[in-house]
Amino acid sequence: MVLTIVSYIASLHLYRQHRRIYTTPVIISTLVVIVFLLLFQVPYETYMIGGKWIDRLLGPAVVALAYPLYQYRKVLKEMFVPIVTGTTVGAVVGIGSGLLLSKWAGFSNLIIHSIVPKSVTTPVAMSISESTGGVMPLTAVFVMIAGIGGMLIHPLVMRYSGLTHSVGRGVGMGSASHAIGTAASMERDALEGSISTVAMVLSSVIVSIVAPGLTLLLL
Amino acid sequence: MLHNGIIIPTQIALLYGIYLIGKGIQNLFDLFIPGSVIGMILLFILLSFKVVPEWLLQRGITFMIRHLPFFFIPATVGIISYAYVFKGKGMLLIGIGLLSTVLVMALAGLVTQWMVRRREEA
Repeated sequence: MVLTIVSYIASLHLYRQHRRIYTTPVIISTLVVIVFLLLFQVPYETYMIGGKWIDRLLGPAVVALAYPLYQYRKVLKEMFVPIVTGTTVGAVVGIGSGLLLSKWAGFSNLIIHSIVPKSVTTPVAMSISESTGGVMPLTAVFVMIAGIGGMLIHPLVMRYSGLTHSVGRGVGMGSASHAIGTAASMERDALEGSISTVAMVLSSVIVSIVAPGLTLLLL
Repeated sequence: MLHNGIIIPTQIALLYGIYLIGKGIQNLFDLFIPGSVIGMILLFILLSFKVVPEWLLQRGITFMIRHLPFFFIPATVGIISYAYVFKGKGMLLIGIGLLSTVLVMALAGLVTQWMVRRREEA
């Protein structure tokens, strides 16, 4: 646990000095911890004796997301129907395409269940994965792919799809690339960023409701 | 600083309490929605109806959200037990993840944009 805290604080400092995608604290600290464990041949189970205390805080961290939703309740109220509709479309497309593509490629159900919740923020994705029979660490990696990938691809998607409206861009980003994408949106445009925040939180609610049923239907 | 050292853990403990209530509701009704998400909805309702004042939880929440990545490091580290999944054919999964992300982004965004534009014209 001390190891995690130290590597997190160190990587946070690094990130503040060099803002790059590959210096994102999660990536660096995860790598540091993994290298440490491999170097000193500490089994993951041993590490998790302390690590599980941090893991337990994922639940309350999800609860805390109610706050940004509350802060942006005005935006949410004004654009309720378009945002909810767009986010729902995103949730269904995200679950459906992830599931069907990986099923078609012949991957096992364990992997499919882990890829399904990839477009929502890590703590929620992990809870969904856990309750539908996926593997939490795998889900975390898929969430990372959706987040970092989406952030990089966003400009291209916007250019070729004619996505020009800030509200549309925000919903697209929030429902596809959760927190990592939202941070990028926030830097570009405050409205896009706050819409993205709302879409991210709403999307985690909608995906957690839709995922179990849709998975059952398509698998 | 010392002040925060007491307030933040207390507020996080309160959030944990809400999470436990959410989990309780999940178990009680045998729901498939994660307890944490139920807790989130619950807190949103409590805040909206001013049952819970903002100041009561604000600092703990701000702290947690700012350091959100920290809380999933242990789970992400777990990938060392599953690294084999991404070998060989597993590389395809990265492509699947990206393709699916592009689809979500474009479709969710375009549907929203279309609806917002229609409203603005009306």
